[in-house]
Amino acid sequence: MTRQAGGDEPPGAPRAAPWLFLLPLILFAAVFLALPLGFSVYLSFTRWNPLGTPDWVGLRQFEYLLTRDDDFRATLLNTFVFAFGFVAAGVPISLGLAFVFSRSRGKAIWRSIYFLPQLTNIVAIAYLWQFVLDDRYGLVNRLLGLLGLRGPDWLFDPVMAMVSVVMVMVWMEAGKNMLVFSAALEAVDGEIYDAATLDGAGAWRTLRSITLPIIRPAFTFVTITSFISGMGTFALILAMTEGGPRGATEVTALYTYTMAFEDLRMGRASAGALILFTIIGILSIVQFRLLRDRA
Amino acid sequence: MTRTALAAALLASAAVPAAAQDGPLTVAMHYTQEQAAPLIACLEGYDADGVTAAYQQISYGDYLQTVLTGRLAGQSPDVYNVYSIWAAQMTDNGVLAEPPQDVADFVRDGYAAGTVDAATIDGTLWGVPTEVSVYMLVSNMALLREAGFEAPPETWDELREMARAITTRNDQGRIETAGFAFAQSAAGMVHPFYALLYSEGGDVYADDRSEAMLEGEAARTALENMAGLVEDGSADLSVDAYDFPAGGIAMMIMANWYESAIAEGLGGLEDVAVTHIPMGEDWRTLQYAFFMGVDAQSERQDAAWALVRHLNEPRDGGPSCMGEMLDGLGALTASAADTAALPAPDDFTAPFVAALEDGRAITQPNVMQASEIEGMMAQTFEEVVSGEAEAGPALEELDGEVEDILFEFY
Repeated sequence: MTRQAGGDEPPGAPRAAPWLFLLPLILFAAVFLALPLGFSVYLSFTRWNPLGTPDWVGLRQFEYLLTRDDDFRATLLNTFVFAFGFVAAGVPISLGLAFVFSRSRGKAIWRSIYFLPQLTNIVAIAYLWQFVLDDRYGLVNRLLGLLGLRGPDWLFDPVMAMVSVVMVMVWMEAGKNMLVFSAALEAVDGEIYDAATLDGAGAWRTLRSITLPIIRPAFTFVTITSFISGMGTFALILAMTEGGPRGATEVTALYTYTMAFEDLRMGRASAGALILFTIIGILSIVQFRLLRDRA
Repeated sequence: MTRTALAAALLASAAVPAAAQDGPLTVAMHYTQEQAAPLIACLEGYDADGVTAAYQQISYGDYLQTVLTGRLAGQSPDVYNVYSIWAAQMTDNGVLAEPPQDVADFVRDGYAAGTVDAATIDGTLWGVPTEVSVYMLVSNMALLREAGFEAPPETWDELREMARAITTRNDQGRIETAGFAFAQSAAGMVHPFYALLYSEGGDVYADDRSEAMLEGEAARTALENMAGLVEDGSADLSVDAYDFPAGGIAMMIMANWYESAIAEGLGGLEDVAVTHIPMGEDWRTLQYAFFMGVDAQSERQDAAWALVRHLNEPRDGGPSCMGEMLDGLGALTASAADTAALPAPDDFTAPFVAALEDGRAITQPNVMQASEIEGMMAQTFEEVVSGEAEAGPALEELDGEVEDILFEFY
């Protein structure tokens, strides 16, 4: 019963051929993924500023961050608020836009327009919104001023600053998520809607009982990817508020960046990044399972 | 033919390290090519027994990171221009070389003592001071006169009174003309605080750096003075002192290097007054400095120190290369020879120079993790100034956090 070696292979085929073809990818992954990740894991158990040599400190960086660093815990809370805010506002808006444009004329043009922020440099986006939302000179508050209204302190009030960065993130990502929903909506067989209409189902009932269940895979995908990108966001916030005012928008990714490259605490920053990575991983798995089970 | 090509390639590759070793000494600074033009001209003309020099620009925000990355890759410049608050970490990790005795004597004999402190860590001098910045009260006299004041304030109470009288708000209650403004950056909060703290006779750290002194009366008064301006409605954190050149801010505590922006924005300096920190006769202020140091890994340290000295020594009765460059930028030098060789400072700059000469300007403390500590300070000060926290308890908490960091190193 022993299978003859090379029985299914053409005569003379080298057994190493698949590995040779995979080699570039494996090398790429080793150099640009495994190596930095492994080094980061190693660093998280050390105390190191890049001027000297790393000192092994075991779990002390994790212990410090989780038990003594109030700022780190505050950034975790900010990260959750930002990610949940982004998902809670961004997913329904993207779905709504996809729904509206799937029934409108010139939908390709509309979709292109809403996708434009994705093609724009993130720093340019941040500066643009700083001009729009500036408390004193911003476009929004100027317009509200013309109506005799005092606009909010978009960037200097801690609560409004978080609202502002979530809003800009939603604006920036809406086009991308809308495309995913649009593709899912267009894949729904029109005959199902015809049948539902014949059975007397209204628009709301059709949406709830037909459209949403059918596009649930797209919904799951957009929700999870939005949550992950929300948890890891940092460039937009760095350029727009630098984590201020008074740490109100300082998310964990930004905090670890500051620790690493401004405070030169590479070990602690690596530990913070690993904690964030673990949290994102666990929550993504939980979220995926919940959404999959409900589907 | 192939063998010849191979031999040529081997020779060329062998020549690369030799060329790198014999190449020009590199001087890494944060000034743009345009700003550093006089210095670059000196570097291009430098030839000391075949040793030449070249300029390397590294942006200010990326300076330390670029230096660190370069060192990891074994590609350090020979000469640094170090912001003094980076110095403690650089010396602690052996990045900088100690200057030879002749350079140390040149600095101690020819530079203002307060600025020499900026280049000194635990009693050891690490380089030649270059650019110095000092903080003073800068007033828009047009706005002061409009409100009926003919001279800038002498005391903090006067400043508060004037700021209240000058401040105007629009229909939505937002400040239109601000009596006073803080700059929107960590330094924008921390540096004025240092000036007020020193004027109160306080200090940031104990002499041995083992403890912070932020829970004392002087620190509390200094911070309450800052917060009082927001309580009065004469300032708020959305008004940025860097908007002073736009003409809507009456007073700010600012460094001398902002002169050109103010002149450009206001169309001249006729209506701008620079006066002492308004804390009475015993006022003090803050100075910070950059200094030129040599990399400890440089294989040509003696040549590098000779270059540093060449760039900072007066030339035939004229200013040094560095002095000429700083003068062009409107920046200050602590070199007595350069000060004598350069034209007399203008009305804007003169009070800053006088503060240095009179020993009123105290050096920004060089401690380990200074940048991290000042970031924490800025956040605490913002919380107090915005009314989210009381000065006393906030400073006590800050003091503890700062001492946690000091405990790691001292």
